[in-house]
Amino acid sequence: MPPLLELDRVWKRFARDWVLKEVSLAVAAGEAVALLGPNGVGKTTLLRVAAGLTRPQKGEVRLFGKPAREVEAERGRLLYLANPPAFYRHLTGEENLRSWLLLLGKAADDRAVAGAMARVGLPLGRPVLAYSSGMKKRLALARVFLAEPKILLLDEPETALDEAGRELLFQAIEQVRKGGGAVLLATHDRAFAEAAADREVVLS
Amino acid sequence: MKRILALALRDLRLELRGRSGLFSALFFLGVVLLILGFALGPEEDDLRRAAPGVLWVALAFAGSLLAGRAWAVEVENDTLDDLLLLPGSREWIYWGKFLFLWILLLFVSLLLLVLVAGMFYLPLAQAPAILLTLLLGATGYAAVATFYAGLVVRLPTAQLILPILVFSVVVPVILAAVRATIGLAEGVPASEVVAWWKLLLAFDAIYLTASSLLFPFVIEG
Repeated sequence: MPPLLELDRVWKRFARDWVLKEVSLAVAAGEAVALLGPNGVGKTTLLRVAAGLTRPQKGEVRLFGKPAREVEAERGRLLYLANPPAFYRHLTGEENLRSWLLLLGKAADDRAVAGAMARVGLPLGRPVLAYSSGMKKRLALARVFLAEPKILLLDEPETALDEAGRELLFQAIEQVRKGGGAVLLATHDRAFAEAAADREVVLS
Repeated sequence: MKRILALALRDLRLELRGRSGLFSALFFLGVVLLILGFALGPEEDDLRRAAPGVLWVALAFAGSLLAGRAWAVEVENDTLDDLLLLPGSREWIYWGKFLFLWILLLFVSLLLLVLVAGMFYLPLAQAPAILLTLLLGATGYAAVATFYAGLVVRLPTAQLILPILVFSVVVPVILAAVRATIGLAEGVPASEVVAWWKLLLAFDAIYLTASSLLFPFVIEG
């Protein structure tokens, strides 16, 4: 069975600077991999390349066993949570989730959305502009619980989260892994990487 | 279709809650009408003769303020990546953004028609025919503006570049719409402006088809 996510000799450049040089990486179903490395080494760029948000100059990205540019219908099974996660500030947390589910082409069941909000410990009816950084991270985790993605890409997911928030993050990663999905996360925190991932890849 | 509608309705909700784009366009519209009224008045005949031009000049300028709104909401909230990660071919995103801008432009057009009729004595004897002209003109404008706003969305100078790009392509639509409106204001039968409507319809069909087909390529980072 091919890996769910595979980068094959990927090169990525911004202007004249090569950020990624011949990077190869594979994440199998049921596996969680942590990317470690100093600032500016290309962890976020690698996640964006893996998500198909930016194209590499050389090399190939394969998602679900297919070249990334051929993945259209399956794109909804990939979830990328940026740091900081982005939401519509003038909508409430639950409106953001409902709108996102509708655009994914899924049923925006009010009870499921309210359940996800309760699970991540967020109040209903509050616009995202009144959220703290940690609350936004929790709202991002609600997306994982609702969408049950097969590929989960996380950029510094542990930052801004309190202890209970970190526990939710571990639950989200575990849910994806147990569901046969692949998790790739970028972090500076080696202890977190060791606790959350099956193996670590250091970019240098 | 469901997703197109959901995207347009969400953007309309955000626009009404954010209040920035639509309200600036309406304020700008009021100022343009006031200046043109002072410049062309006070003779009723002069105002009436200028009314079709005033209608489309004001709509084109207000439209240039609204043009970027379809994508500004994604830039302001940093949500463009989320939109691009949604499944399916990306034409539907174009259609959702087009529908949002089209509804905004139609709302502004209706308001403008009432204001120009009141301030510039634009005859409303053929109001349904003028409304049809506004509908066709707004469709072409929104088709082009949605496409170019998506093309420049990542550029820091998008707000400066966008009106130049839009106006250079949308001129045939504005000219055809002005000619049709002049004819209707002068009381010629609607059958005599059908040629202009056909021209507007052809522009709309070309712009919408080309824009939606090219959109997936231009929106990629």
